[in-house]
Amino acid sequence: MSKAPALELIDIHKTFTDVEVLKGISLKAYDGDVISILGSSGSGKSTFLRCINLLENPTKGEIIFNGESLKLASSGRDLAAADMKQLTKMRQQIGFVFQSFNLWPHMTVLQNVMEGPAHVLKRPKQEVMDYAEHLLNKVGIADKKHMYPNQLSGGQQQRVAIARTLAMDPQVILFDEPTSALDPELVGEVLGVMRKLAEEGRTMLIVTHEMSFAKEVSSEVVFLHKGVVEEKGTPDKVFNSPDSERCRAFLSSTY
Amino acid sequence: MIDLHGFGDQLLQGALITVELAMASLAVGLVLGLLGAAAKLSSIAPLRWLATIYTTIVRGIPELLTVLIIYFGATIVLMAIASQFGYDDYIEVGPFAAGVTALGLTFGAYATEVFRGALQSIPKGQHEAATALGMGAFRKFQRIILPQVWRVALPGLGNLFLVLLKDTALVSIVGLDDIMRKANIAVSSTKQPFLFYATAAVMYLLLTIISMVVVTWLEKRASRGMRRG
Repeated sequence: MSKAPALELIDIHKTFTDVEVLKGISLKAYDGDVISILGSSGSGKSTFLRCINLLENPTKGEIIFNGESLKLASSGRDLAAADMKQLTKMRQQIGFVFQSFNLWPHMTVLQNVMEGPAHVLKRPKQEVMDYAEHLLNKVGIADKKHMYPNQLSGGQQQRVAIARTLAMDPQVILFDEPTSALDPELVGEVLGVMRKLAEEGRTMLIVTHEMSFAKEVSSEVVFLHKGVVEEKGTPDKVFNSPDSERCRAFLSSTY
Repeated sequence: MIDLHGFGDQLLQGALITVELAMASLAVGLVLGLLGAAAKLSSIAPLRWLATIYTTIVRGIPELLTVLIIYFGATIVLMAIASQFGYDDYIEVGPFAAGVTALGLTFGAYATEVFRGALQSIPKGQHEAATALGMGAFRKFQRIILPQVWRVALPGLGNLFLVLLKDTALVSIVGLDDIMRKANIAVSSTKQPFLFYATAAVMYLLLTIISMVVVTWLEKRASRGMRRG
């Protein structure tokens, strides 16, 4: 029962110029957890997610991945990685899916998915290609593998981006508002893929505005407000009987 | 057929030198331009100053003067350095080496600005997607950023190359046997300035037209995937 969490964040703070966006957020994710992070815009949820793999340097806090604490050293006001090798290795095992997909436009869909395992993990080309095709099949884009990202719809692009992340075999995947940039009719196809991943037992942290999706797939829901964890618990608890008045107000306005 | 009084072969040899000079200067200039742009966007202030000093000086001096200063100055500088090591003989910098240096420096200064703009036009998310995958800085630049920078920079670089190709004529003044100098020699020997200057002009025009075709082809190739289909 004393299994260590796959990912643990302890007392994460982040200050931008004058504004303290994160005021000490802690969170534990065990293998197979699907944690949804909710909150109104400006609550710090995206910043928190970006601090986990140091796309944003936290001002204070500790990040423990697989029982190993990420070495941080101060750099100006913030903390930065003290051991680039350790950070790079950690990033290879923590996937990140962006709101704006960020596919590489000069590469085909297949090349986008192959890039990580082929050129970062240096796996054999044929093996990488087979795996990439398998993943594209899984997210339902196999027939578009030779097209370029700009030829695809937003929903298709996001599914490719998810395949690109999966190709690294990450232990944890972070989703930063993966459906917020999509037209409403395309949201479903991306959520469908994510639901499938959740059912497979993938460990996922999801910043989202899709309330019914969060309620349905999450093992835990965290509600952030002004940089602090305002409410936290099972979906049933958070959605049906939250302790926090703010959380109740947020849910009734959006859900 | 136009009678070139036997100078046709000479002019063709000159054209070869012109092309060689242009290509060598292009190679030097592209490297300097990338370095200059990287320096200008660097977080290290002295690097930014250095790049600004470089582009300000080189872009502020007429190309003809740059060629002359490099040609005559390089000999003085090299000899001064060599004498520090006890070598006191005369060192000559050839017109070709001086030309590559001068034109490479000039191209590099202008290309610095073209590359800087292109680098800045790449969205932050492109960097982040590579970083989040655990890609190292060098590989990210080589695989993700440079191909996209190249696409944005190509039209500007193509323009600069046309200017460079024509500026090679300036190096004839320090004795490089390019199209221009061969034409001058032919003129003084045959007293037919219009014929040979017109021929030289046509040769430059042909070279620039070929360059434009190549650049257009490169642009098409680099923008694969960029149009919505």
